[in-house]
Amino acid sequence: MSENLYTYGIIEQEDIQMDIEGVQDAETLYTVDYRTLSALVSEIDTTEPERTDEDVQRHNRVLQQVLEFEDGRTVVPMSFGMAFKNSRTIKGVIRGARRALRSALNDIDGMIELGVKVITIQEDTINEGELRNDIVEQLSAVSVNETENDLFSDRLILNKSYLVDRSNRSEFDEAIEAIESTHTDSVKIQYTGPWAPYNFVDIHIGAEQSGR
Amino acid sequence: MLLIDDLLIRPFISLVEIIQNMALDEMYDTEKIRDELKENQLLFELGERSESEYRQTKEKLETQLKLADEIRSQMSSKVEIKQ
Repeated sequence: MSENLYTYGIIEQEDIQMDIEGVQDAETLYTVDYRTLSALVSEIDTTEPERTDEDVQRHNRVLQQVLEFEDGRTVVPMSFGMAFKNSRTIKGVIRGARRALRSALNDIDGMIELGVKVITIQEDTINEGELRNDIVEQLSAVSVNETENDLFSDRLILNKSYLVDRSNRSEFDEAIEAIESTHTDSVKIQYTGPWAPYNFVDIHIGAEQSGR
Repeated sequence: MLLIDDLLIRPFISLVEIIQNMALDEMYDTEKIRDELKENQLLFELGERSESEYRQTKEKLETQLKLADEIRSQMSSKVEIKQ
């Protein structure tokens, strides 16, 4: 049987084992440790998993599950598709990236990512710029950081990811509710999360060099 | 005569090429199709599109995207052969 392991993300060292609906139908998530860090992994047949919508969703949902497990924990997410030959290779990868991973864990300690997309209902009758500024102002006040994402539709007036302290989650929820009730005739909001903070960590792991 | 012919025909040919390339770019704009796929998903999730409308549009766009990717890779391999 293959020893390949699919990696979802990195957390502070901890022994975790949980049931999941993981990438390529994996059913168990567990941890592989390197000193004070642990990789979240599940078993897989290949080191080059095909990128399908279903598996990308499973990858995200597993991270979400860990993010909310018990009292919640900080997760540095891996991008989809990081599978390695065995646990030894993963330890080597963590060793190589340990400074960046440690620094990322410190930067996002206790933080979650929330996604907000706003579409217009009646394009002609609203001042999009004014409306957008109003929304941005309210959400910036209850978040630590934010990134601008692609406006892939003419109807989208805002597509942002927000980094929010876990303890401020209810304030952020309330801000969204307030925006929804104030602008109920003009916009619809898609509010998603919590996600592992993909848009706020930027770690490139040299998997090829590490014998992936 | 050859020179005059060249001068007369060349601008015309390049204009035709430009228009043809623009039309191909428009028709096989993979970025635009990917954006439309994302828009379709978002409008469905926000209840602006019914499930059947969403599925039909998704299928149509995925077929377009596959074709566009194939045409684009054929076009780029032709350019490589010329070089």
